[in-house]
Amino acid sequence: MPLLDIGYRKWEGEKTPRSTRSLALASTGIHLVWKGTWLKRILMFMAIPALIAGIFVATFEQTLDRDGPRALLSILAKSPQSRNIAQRAGVDLNAAIESPESYRHFTWSYILFNLSRYPQALGMIVVLGLVAPRLISYDLRSRGYLLYLSRPLTPAEYIFGKSLVLFFLLFVMSALPALLIYVAGLFLSTDSTAIAQTWDIPLRILLASLVLMVPTTAVALAFSAMTQESRYAGFAWFSMWVVGSVTYFSLWTATQLREQFQNQGRGARIEAMAPWNSFKLFSPYETLGYLQQQIFGLAVKDPWTWAPWIAVAFVSVAGYGFAYWKVSRVLKA
Amino acid sequence: MSLYEKPTDKVFEIESVRKSYGSKQVLKNISLSIPTGVVGLLGPNGSGKSTLIKTILGLVSIDPRRGDTGSGQVLGFDWPSQVRIVRDHVGYLPEDDCYLQGLQGIESIQMMARLSGLMKKEALRRSHEVADYCDLGQERYRNVETYSTGMRQKLKFAQALVHDPKWIILDEPTTGLDPQQREQFLDRIYALANEQGKSILLSTHILHDVIQTCDHVVIMAAGQIRLVDSLENLQRPSQEGLQISVVSNAGKLSDALRAQGIQSNSTSDSQLVVLGDESNLLKCVWKTSIEHQVTVLRIEQAKNSLEQAFLDAVRS
Repeated sequence: MPLLDIGYRKWEGEKTPRSTRSLALASTGIHLVWKGTWLKRILMFMAIPALIAGIFVATFEQTLDRDGPRALLSILAKSPQSRNIAQRAGVDLNAAIESPESYRHFTWSYILFNLSRYPQALGMIVVLGLVAPRLISYDLRSRGYLLYLSRPLTPAEYIFGKSLVLFFLLFVMSALPALLIYVAGLFLSTDSTAIAQTWDIPLRILLASLVLMVPTTAVALAFSAMTQESRYAGFAWFSMWVVGSVTYFSLWTATQLREQFQNQGRGARIEAMAPWNSFKLFSPYETLGYLQQQIFGLAVKDPWTWAPWIAVAFVSVAGYGFAYWKVSRVLKA
Repeated sequence: MSLYEKPTDKVFEIESVRKSYGSKQVLKNISLSIPTGVVGLLGPNGSGKSTLIKTILGLVSIDPRRGDTGSGQVLGFDWPSQVRIVRDHVGYLPEDDCYLQGLQGIESIQMMARLSGLMKKEALRRSHEVADYCDLGQERYRNVETYSTGMRQKLKFAQALVHDPKWIILDEPTTGLDPQQREQFLDRIYALANEQGKSILLSTHILHDVIQTCDHVVIMAAGQIRLVDSLENLQRPSQEGLQISVVSNAGKLSDALRAQGIQSNSTSDSQLVVLGDESNLLKCVWKTSIEHQVTVLRIEQAKNSLEQAFLDAVRS
């Protein structure tokens, strides 16, 4: 017999509202993910492109009264991809070289778009492929959902809580560095009209991040809910990007080659970046990239098309719908 | 009075609960009302105990399109419409081997506390409190997937208690515990009910656990409620008599008593039951035991065995 046993102690205290309980799920999920040293390494590695983009913006601003931006724009003018984008965005690069400050918005948008489109999007694919597959599949395997759902948590809140884990990671990876670059650009600018010229860029950054976050999270969670084996979910995730991109590239290249042969002969140059075409729907990477291009105002000359928006909205709804169905199905078993 | 403080003398009162898994009806028109206190839910494997619990908690949904039905009140709240509120007041220890992968024991308890509405720091403080109570020791800092079955039971118990629920549902809680841990576990259940005023539903097929802790018993079989009664009533003998524990030779003492015209029956080498008027029997038992040199350890009023009541109910 113990000499002293305090025994059970009652608890009385204020409880948080039931509607906020999924935040607890999210914060524990983030804490769990954050334990992985590889994630921290990837995020640190991903800071390098953001730093480079920041240096570009800083250089542009600091050398506006010198010839720096002209030199930068001259470099851009040599790239067919940049020329193509500038042309469709209604920007005359030759005019921009003459008066760079009037093209501040375009320059910043272009730098931030490229940051978002390439290193961050690719990093997102890697990070989500490593983190997301475990989020629901582990709970299905260890029957952790019984513990979660025995609390005042609905399947929808459970999915929302899991989504917040990925939202947080994607925000840290994409929106946060871009916003920091924007703020740094304002601080480094010697021109007082910089804010007036670029006030909408933070909104575009947030919208572009949202377009990246919502559908990718929906699909990643759907894959995770599909199986108890996270490696299968991971495999499905990476396969989707690779197969989509290969399919798009094959179809697009074949079409371009046919057109070049038919119209201009063998020596014609294939454009580095074509405007919207329906082949992009095969590739999530291209579709999301195009939407970001639209959001940053770099595709204004293209005829407006709803197809990518509808496709992304459909995939988001279907992804979340499937994940919800799988989780709520265990309650109907 | 807030929504969280609805007074009720009954833990739950449900009517016409039907639940099917596919074409198999698992709960067959169950109507049940249980009082506060410790209630044992007994039944053979596959009798529908766990399904009944999961249905009450909304972990298995009532789907009218599949022919499922059910209504009632749980902890004073409408059921199943307010099942989410009910869950805020219930601590559930599932039968299934379930855990939150990747978390330490203490983090896992904290997580459950936060899902039940405790603030982060308070959740951690409270988690340590219940981890101490459940005897988790330093094992609380290990990842839960490395836990033994017994440790997982303790962890699930701590998770069930962390938000100080009014009603605790324990589904096969002593599975995987060694005898000493099992006794400690049952002592805790007893203390929670008798010292803290908690209502407890103990689902098990181990009758000894029920005898040791419960006030009331519900016996289920084949998806139906077969019997609901207090343990006292169930153990009340149909005839007056004495239950006698001896060191050994219960058969010898029983034979000697029978030779004197007393109804006696030995149930083992150390147990016998004698029937008749207690006051007359006592003198006779003492005398005969001394004559035949059988050492008596304990004499108490005869009880019906719960095992018999259980078997009768299941076979009925």
